[in-house]
Amino acid sequence: MRAPDILLSLLLAGLAAAFPFLVNAYWLHVMIIGMIYAIIAASWSLLAGFAGQFSFGHVAFVAIGGYTAGILAVSLHVPLPLGMLAGIVAAALIGAGVGWTCLRMSGPYLAIFTMAFSEVLRITIVTENEITGGPGGLNVPQLFHAQTDLPYYYLILALLVVSVVGMMLVLASRWGLFFRAIRENEQAAAAAGVKVTRFRILACAIASGVAGLAGGFYAPYIGILTPDVASQDQMGLVVAMAIVGGVETLPGVVAGAIAVEFMVEALRSYGQWRLVLFGLLLLLTMRFARNGLLAPGWLAIRRLAVLQGQRLIRGTAD
Amino acid sequence: MLDYFLIQSANGIVIGVIYALIATGLTIIFALLKIVNFAHGELYMMGGYFGYYVITLAGVPPLPAVVAAMAISFAFAVAIERGLLTPLYSPGMERKSDYGILITFGLAVFLRNIAIIIFGPFPLRPPSFFDGDLVLGGLIISYDRLVAAGGGLLILVLLIFFLNRTVWGQALNAVSQSRESASIVGINSERMYMFAFGLGGALAGGAGALVAPIYSLSPSMGLVPDTQAFVIVILGGLGSVSGSIIAGILLGLSENLFIAFLPDPNRGPSYANAFGLFIMMLVLLFRPTGIFGRHHAAME
Amino acid sequence: MAMPALIETRGLSKHFGGIFAVDRLDFAVNAGELVGLIGPNGSGKTTTINLLTGHLKIDAGQVRLRGERVDGAAASVFAARGVGRTFQITQLFSRMSVIENMLVPGLARAHAEKRVVLGEARKHLEFLGLASLETLQAKNLSGGQQKLLELGRALMLKPEILFLDEPFAGVNPYLRDEIIGFVKTLHEAGRTFVIVDHDLDAIQRLVHRLVVMSRGKKIADGPLAEVRTNPAVITAYSGV
Repeated sequence: MRAPDILLSLLLAGLAAAFPFLVNAYWLHVMIIGMIYAIIAASWSLLAGFAGQFSFGHVAFVAIGGYTAGILAVSLHVPLPLGMLAGIVAAALIGAGVGWTCLRMSGPYLAIFTMAFSEVLRITIVTENEITGGPGGLNVPQLFHAQTDLPYYYLILALLVVSVVGMMLVLASRWGLFFRAIRENEQAAAAAGVKVTRFRILACAIASGVAGLAGGFYAPYIGILTPDVASQDQMGLVVAMAIVGGVETLPGVVAGAIAVEFMVEALRSYGQWRLVLFGLLLLLTMRFARNGLLAPGWLAIRRLAVLQGQRLIRGTAD
Repeated sequence: MLDYFLIQSANGIVIGVIYALIATGLTIIFALLKIVNFAHGELYMMGGYFGYYVITLAGVPPLPAVVAAMAISFAFAVAIERGLLTPLYSPGMERKSDYGILITFGLAVFLRNIAIIIFGPFPLRPPSFFDGDLVLGGLIISYDRLVAAGGGLLILVLLIFFLNRTVWGQALNAVSQSRESASIVGINSERMYMFAFGLGGALAGGAGALVAPIYSLSPSMGLVPDTQAFVIVILGGLGSVSGSIIAGILLGLSENLFIAFLPDPNRGPSYANAFGLFIMMLVLLFRPTGIFGRHHAAME
Repeated sequence: MAMPALIETRGLSKHFGGIFAVDRLDFAVNAGELVGLIGPNGSGKTTTINLLTGHLKIDAGQVRLRGERVDGAAASVFAARGVGRTFQITQLFSRMSVIENMLVPGLARAHAEKRVVLGEARKHLEFLGLASLETLQAKNLSGGQQKLLELGRALMLKPEILFLDEPFAGVNPYLRDEIIGFVKTLHEAGRTFVIVDHDLDAIQRLVHRLVVMSRGKKIADGPLAEVRTNPAVITAYSGV
């Protein structure tokens, strides 16, 4: 890590710790939702941006994580933390299964297959209402019995940091190198000795497990889980967040998700216009700035800062 | 019981023709632009609304309104193609397949939600083509369904004639087979891409206008046909218009019979959409790149 | 008992639809050989390489690596066992840097240590004259540099045998001489090569043994001078 990165990380950590005391309960809630989306969008980026598997069914794993925790808690009275853990495991296992199923697919075929998987799951949740609560939703018990969202805030902050840093470490390791090699050229990766099958499934399992974690937190936080978590509009929002942030930099995606969620709320009075704006934002970003808006923007600011710093050190006044 | 079977079969064929219309458009777009249009169901939805407003605002009778809806959909699709898809044709463009997936997916989200604002979230139903039902013994079918199926078949027949017998149709075919050779014989391939996307939009829009009196219009009506169209394209083989027609009718038929014979009557209609998706997942499993595998290998 | 061949096929067959691309091929390469595999277009050379490196499924027959059957194994298993290859059309990890391209096979080896692998990668890049391009993205290299990088990436497997598929296709005369030089040096260092190419001049300057295929079958196999005068080969090439 370079000096500006360390400085920025410290600044962000301080800001994140102090955040609940700087805003009112409403914006704290928005921040929590934004961080849940950040985890989902970052895990989608790992799968799509780094491993090259454009899944449009990623929100299905959020639903799997959430409904596993919720149903276990409601029907079998399993403690929530245990249920959330089970949700992560279930999402990762089913994700590995889906990854194995689409081993021979790529590009639009994989996108269609995963989209179909997600829709089938959503329809099943809607239909099997005795277990899932159907379209009316599933009432999930609370995780904390506190007056404020403070415990939820610090928990999701910890989960966000752990999952994103964890994924960044994976991506910086040889696994990440293999993910990208497979994305670039599956045949060449195999010729280079990369176990393509294993690493494709692994990427799916990791991304799905992390999405399951987000779902497992979301369910008790919101208290009511509806099949809409797996809807294609949700998927669209996640994709927009990742694309705006810059799909190949996880911190950029996290910033993108939180920024988009705050914009969603700030524009609440515009009602339905919000999703239109995000569709438009996604279109314009793809059309004119494919590397995203936030990550390249940050790089530019950092370049400028480094340049200014050098000038200061040299003490020249040119 | 037999009557019920007959009615469900007839309904299946009607919706199958509509599916076929949507799917042939998707096929033509893929054959030319080499992208899967994830916003195809939304073009179908827009076509339905175009038809509705031509009838209610301009006072055009329902049948000519279908033709008008197709014309407007054509122009609408061309505008989309000009605005968003031209980067696909520049030789320096990287990861074209990814771009095609994401840009059309974003478009789908955008159109679905802007439709809620412009047209409202509540279902709209344009006037019937003809009121009443046709009764043939035990078979009862509304005239609207007959018109939808008949109109759809007519459009498909005209399309096949157009593709095989006209200069433009053959130019489309030439570009889909080889862009380079087509340009050698003087075909402007970029104009063909534009035309193909417009044509695909017109077919989807026509389908939307035809079903409007039967199923009503809603902003999210494109979601299901969107995925159904992929099933059909994969089953029928890409680039094969006749394959799409047959596969479309088969899917419509089997979906309706599935509803009719599922032992649990409450779950039947709910799982009907899942049924088509499930078939598609199976097809993709056994033919992972669809029937059009070789085309895909050449992509990017 | 004689040492088993480094790589050997028995009755190797592959058909696409009704056409036999490779038809009951028996073929063995011993350690330390430098073999040329030639034949007219469509004679099954690339298919043979794909079968011998696990990139295509075998329909019938066997592949043995040092006497041990490996047919049916994945391409990555062949690579892990020291079978390297290049492709007819260069296949790189385009949006990854030159050094990352080299690290992929290095780190995919069992018990590979990053520091050691990095050292090996730099050594190979130095050897191939690519050392100064380390941080460049592979897609920004020239065509010739890409060919060399692909060779370098195959070397990172510490391969015992290397299959080069048309290394001289579309290469300028200067680079051609350079590649011939690299192959000679690597061969003298103990590596075994099988080279497929249409450039018979370059092949003749390199190999000691020539195998000729036509319509999926092996029609000649032996020392260079002998094969050159073989009437069956002349017939196959004259297209009669």
